[in-house]
Amino acid sequence: MSDVVVGQRVSKRFGATPVLADATFTVGRGVTGLLGPNGAGKTTLLSMMLGLHRADSGRLEVLGLDPVRSGPEVRARIGYAPEHHLLPPDLPALDFVRHLAEIHGLPRAEAATRASDALWWVALGEERFRALGTLSTGQRQRVKLAAALAPDPALLLLDEPTDGLDPTQRDSMLDLISRIGTDVGIDVILSSHLLDEVERTCDQVVVLDDGHVVASGPLDELRGVERGVRLVVDADPAALAGSLASRGLDVVVDRYTLDVTSDLVDQCALQRIVRDEVAAAGIGLRELRSRVRSLSDVILGVGL
Amino acid sequence: MTTTEILERGYRRYDGPRLGVAASMSALVRHTVRRCLGVHRPARAKVFPVLVIVLAYVPTIVYVGVTVLGNRLQRSGVPGRSMARAFVPSYATSYLSITLAIVVFSAFVAPEVLCPDRRTGMLGLYLASPLDRFTYLVSKAAAVLMLTCVVTVGPPLILLVGYATQGFGPEGLAGWAGTLGRILGAGLTIAVLVTAVSLAISSLTTRKAAASAAFLALVIGLSGLLTMVVVQGAVSNRWGVFNLFTLPYEAAFRIFGEPSPLVLNAESEVPAGLIALGCGGWVAASVLVIAWRYRRAGVTA
Repeated sequence: MSDVVVGQRVSKRFGATPVLADATFTVGRGVTGLLGPNGAGKTTLLSMMLGLHRADSGRLEVLGLDPVRSGPEVRARIGYAPEHHLLPPDLPALDFVRHLAEIHGLPRAEAATRASDALWWVALGEERFRALGTLSTGQRQRVKLAAALAPDPALLLLDEPTDGLDPTQRDSMLDLISRIGTDVGIDVILSSHLLDEVERTCDQVVVLDDGHVVASGPLDELRGVERGVRLVVDADPAALAGSLASRGLDVVVDRYTLDVTSDLVDQCALQRIVRDEVAAAGIGLRELRSRVRSLSDVILGVGL
Repeated sequence: MTTTEILERGYRRYDGPRLGVAASMSALVRHTVRRCLGVHRPARAKVFPVLVIVLAYVPTIVYVGVTVLGNRLQRSGVPGRSMARAFVPSYATSYLSITLAIVVFSAFVAPEVLCPDRRTGMLGLYLASPLDRFTYLVSKAAAVLMLTCVVTVGPPLILLVGYATQGFGPEGLAGWAGTLGRILGAGLTIAVLVTAVSLAISSLTTRKAAASAAFLALVIGLSGLLTMVVVQGAVSNRWGVFNLFTLPYEAAFRIFGEPSPLVLNAESEVPAGLIALGCGGWVAASVLVIAWRYRRAGVTA
């Protein structure tokens, strides 16, 4: 199976309010970002993937199944970590994770073992007997991740998993999510409104705005490779910029970073010229690569 | 001496059996019952349910004790058995001594079972599992029913065993089976009725205390009002089918075929069919309320 979720012209209204309009997208293997501002329809789409809302029109397939018709079967294979941090305050973390593993159909003994393992995996092994109400926001986010992971789902839906985390905790959470996609091999859909965390963590993205899919696909394809090169040097680049400009290239300087483009030469020739000029200038080169668009450029390009 | 520390336990994939929706429901029932009884929770969470259960069993233990004492006195030449027979109640009448415990227990259990799930977001996690709204509610109702049966079926069952062992019980296998059937029927009828109503009220709020107070207000307040107007003759005693405090026990008396001492029968016998209709009506109305409240519940509920 190559596609994890397939949506074809999926539409959904709540009363008179359209929430999704002709949404067509494909989510492949790996980590996929579901990106969009608040109210874009991300949570509704997650609910529809869980089979909790039926599409008014169009077709949605999750793990090869219709999530409404095969709801329990689909949900048994999905791990879900909600956005909210409210959890039963007096329930120990281990009991919480074990209970949800059992609810997902694991035998009792297996659920207990996997709950413990999942908590260790998210670095909460030492805290597993603590009541949820005594854990910090970051720890509770990781408990939710452990609860979603313990049943060993085929697909993980994470709704704003870094909400409320400080930068260190956020980095740690994003690393965990990346590892789930790469080391563990579980497909992940990460719902977020933060461009940088999607760009950092995800292989693919589905961008929603006001219920419309405005971009979707692998990040590399969406960003594409722009003409030109970006180089980062370790000394004042003024002289280098001057020499590049004298050869008819367009140069934009931002401190030690130079973006060099040209309509006159091809990409290979451009890279050779830049290499030679850097060598001639006698300054250190920290980075030299083809220019790529950021996800922000992509989204701005589609008018978001 | 060297020490070893496990720094990376890795992640194991699971390829064993997944047990399906029935197992999920069973897990939810088990978890709910344990939470309600305070298992794996702080001591303060255990005190109230245990106290009420004990209170529900105290009259039964006293009645059985009286039969034991009666038999001992009888052996001493005192007519203890007839004295004991005059004191101990019938199975139906025994409910009257545990009515308050049943009502208080019901006021505690259903809010404890339903309200926190919506308040803490657990409902969304359950609905993101193989459970759906229907199977979730059936599991929760089953848990409440099981817990309520602890106080509606347990005491008369102990009474049956106590009476039988002391020679006060039904005679013969047929008598035993008949009494056992009536005990289960009456206990279940009471449990189903109070379970349905208490769950319906609990579905209206996320606050446990508010749900408990509303249930007590409905059962005791409405009962007081109806009792007053029936006793004053302002309305027919048939209005008693709206009296949630007495209706379950009226049903129990009908099941045991005993005359009811309750105010509902102050004027004349209310037809058993009307009692059954009243019970069915309350349960149906409660189910409609619960279904309406949970119709739109989602993962973000």
